[in-house]
Amino acid sequence: MTAARLSLRLGRWGLLGFSILAFAPSLVQAVGFYQIAGHTVASRAAFAQSMSQVASQLSFILAPPAGLDTVGGYVEWRAFGGLAILFAVWALLSGSGATRGDEERGLVEAVLATGLTRSRWLASRVIGFALTTFVAALAGGLGLVAGVAGGHESISLGPVVEICVALAALGLSCYSVTLLIAQLTGARIATAAAGVVLLALFLVDRLSQTFTWLASWRWISPFHYYDLNQPLAPGGSFDGRATLTMLGIAMVGAAVAGVAFELRDVGAPLVRWPSRHRPATYEPSRSPLWRIPVVRGLYERRAGLATWAAGLAAVGVLFVYLTKTVIQPLLSFPTLDQFFGGFGGGQLYASFLGYLWLSIAELLFAAFAIAQVARWAAEDGDGRLELILSTPTPRAGVVVERAITLMFGAALIAVVSGIAVAVAIHYQSMNVSGERLVEGTLLLVPFALVFAAAGSVLAAWNPRAAVGLLGGLAFASYLVDELGPLFRWPTWLQDLSAFKLFGTPLSTGIDRTGLAIMIVIILVGFGASILLMERRDVGA
Amino acid sequence: MKFEVAQLHGAYMLREMAVSAIRTSKLSKDYGVGRGLFDLDLEVTPQEVFGYLGPNGAGKTTTIRLLMGMIKPSAGAAFVFGLDCIRDYVEVKRKVGYLPGDMPQFGSLRGKEVVAYLGGMRGGVDPNAVRSIAERFDLDLNRRFREYSSGNKRKLGILLAFMHRPDLLILDEPTNGLDPLNQQEFYELLREARDGGATVFLSSHVLSEVEHVCDTVGILRAGKLVRVARLDELRAAGETSLEEIFLSYYSDTDHHQKALPE
Repeated sequence: MTAARLSLRLGRWGLLGFSILAFAPSLVQAVGFYQIAGHTVASRAAFAQSMSQVASQLSFILAPPAGLDTVGGYVEWRAFGGLAILFAVWALLSGSGATRGDEERGLVEAVLATGLTRSRWLASRVIGFALTTFVAALAGGLGLVAGVAGGHESISLGPVVEICVALAALGLSCYSVTLLIAQLTGARIATAAAGVVLLALFLVDRLSQTFTWLASWRWISPFHYYDLNQPLAPGGSFDGRATLTMLGIAMVGAAVAGVAFELRDVGAPLVRWPSRHRPATYEPSRSPLWRIPVVRGLYERRAGLATWAAGLAAVGVLFVYLTKTVIQPLLSFPTLDQFFGGFGGGQLYASFLGYLWLSIAELLFAAFAIAQVARWAAEDGDGRLELILSTPTPRAGVVVERAITLMFGAALIAVVSGIAVAVAIHYQSMNVSGERLVEGTLLLVPFALVFAAAGSVLAAWNPRAAVGLLGGLAFASYLVDELGPLFRWPTWLQDLSAFKLFGTPLSTGIDRTGLAIMIVIILVGFGASILLMERRDVGA
Repeated sequence: MKFEVAQLHGAYMLREMAVSAIRTSKLSKDYGVGRGLFDLDLEVTPQEVFGYLGPNGAGKTTTIRLLMGMIKPSAGAAFVFGLDCIRDYVEVKRKVGYLPGDMPQFGSLRGKEVVAYLGGMRGGVDPNAVRSIAERFDLDLNRRFREYSSGNKRKLGILLAFMHRPDLLILDEPTNGLDPLNQQEFYELLREARDGGATVFLSSHVLSEVEHVCDTVGILRAGKLVRVARLDELRAAGETSLEEIFLSYYSDTDHHQKALPE
């Protein structure tokens, strides 16, 4: 009982944050439905038709929708579809943190020293996450109910609870998969390894909508079982068997993780690879790279940068193939060909690729920037910044070096992924301007720096809150760009979004005003963080 | 020679040559509710080994972090070799070797990479000095930081503080986590540094250690410096042991309420 209470306490910030993240989009999408779709049958039918076209473009992210002319069907697709990804990310971070993160910081040893068995400790973490994920899912349901009430309609609570149960079951199954993977791998790569597995399970489900040869593998993915639940759409239903399957995955995953935990040493993976013997040395590294500012930072992050670059390149290539696969059949219909003729000034492939690839790349570059800011904040918290500042390095120099290192790191990732996309475009014989592809890809660098500049200010002001605040800022910025045009929000508000400033460089070229604003934000942000850094107490 | 120079350039130069290694004037850092450091007036002369004593929360680390310019004083000022610790913090760092109380995390970096990384930032590090210290402590620099035991992490911290042969060593509980053999090696290293002209300012809980290596001790209580004494003078005067002197400031249960000795 005490262990379960501790588990709940450890997850309280996740519960709060993800409850807000679940509540907000379902509320916003429900309110947005009434504003855009209106209240007549005809207007809702027209809205459903246009949304079904959007749905076909988003099939690699969101499951196929049903009942888009109803608030339930629309919110189920738009909000709860996205929440599935969000809850999977939460499960990944929470699961790897509960397994290896807590071991790294000595919490697991301290708990086991009290006499609690390993399996009971693991069970308490699973129960704790199950409760928190269900409460957060209910917050999503509450957002829908509140949004519907705002539209002066009502919705049956049964289906709302059912979709929340399905969402919580999905989160729990992802959590158990993460627990299991984290037992097998080293602490350093636990999150990445589990992330790769969850991403693969996600892609198997989503890409099977496009690539039919993947359909026979759908059954291994918990996301598939989540998609089978459509209780909010008219004619849809709650699939009890699918939900039980997700819970079964969760139980089996947790049980096997428990066995693996019993078998391995605390702090060590179950599977150990023989390490290469290295003779002892008493010499410092002779590599000159450690002495060159910026280069030393890039060199230190070389493994991470290579992973980011390879990952983005792979995603980029995948989206090129997706664009070709989605667009080519559509063009075979003369009426659609005519319809698409006016899309993006006739540059159909560029428009779709920009929509699919660059919009995802924006999110990933924002994530890259946030990851770097998290590192800066951690350097402050764990005393590394203090040791760096014990050398004759000016505080302003630390900020400037961080910014330039991040700029070159982002540029490296952009160039590698851009080249991969360009090669894939060439082999797919798609008509995309090479110049715009270069411009669009390089524009990702100032885009990432905008978030880095904001993060630098936050990290200098309050390192402990920096990552959370920057994540919230990025989320708000994304929401403003996504929802601003739909809800006809003021232009000045939409212009505050970094995603809006990025524009659509593949189809319409670089928005020079947006680029200028981004450069101003970068300069002001890093300038302000230098001032803050000079005045603040380090490590406080 | 010194006198001739002083005659040529006047009293200012004389004062510069006689400058203290560390000098603080009414140095304060107020964290509120009575926590922090208050009105610290301290002087450490060159080539002195100064032991800074006090229980947890007395203000030892706060003093050290003020001297290193990591935190800003609420009032007063601190100087290292005449340089203002806040205004001239970059110049101060050239003269100082610093060992923090807790070693930061360097994750998967190897020991030799941590040395090269921070040595590259500092500049002027002699690889022979690095090798010499690493060999003395039998610290394998080929291992990853995360694989180091807490004692080995401490050894790496000591190496980083000593590797550029600084004029002033500021060490926060330096022997924390070191085994007795390595503690002896550290004391030897400290003596060599002092004989080489360095000044040492170290904080410690270990009274025997301070008695063993320090020339002067300062006792801190609830953020206030309550006693500074040279150990040889204490011994010559036949005063009680350092332990008894130290405990006399903490003997009663409500020592936080106790008026400081006049």
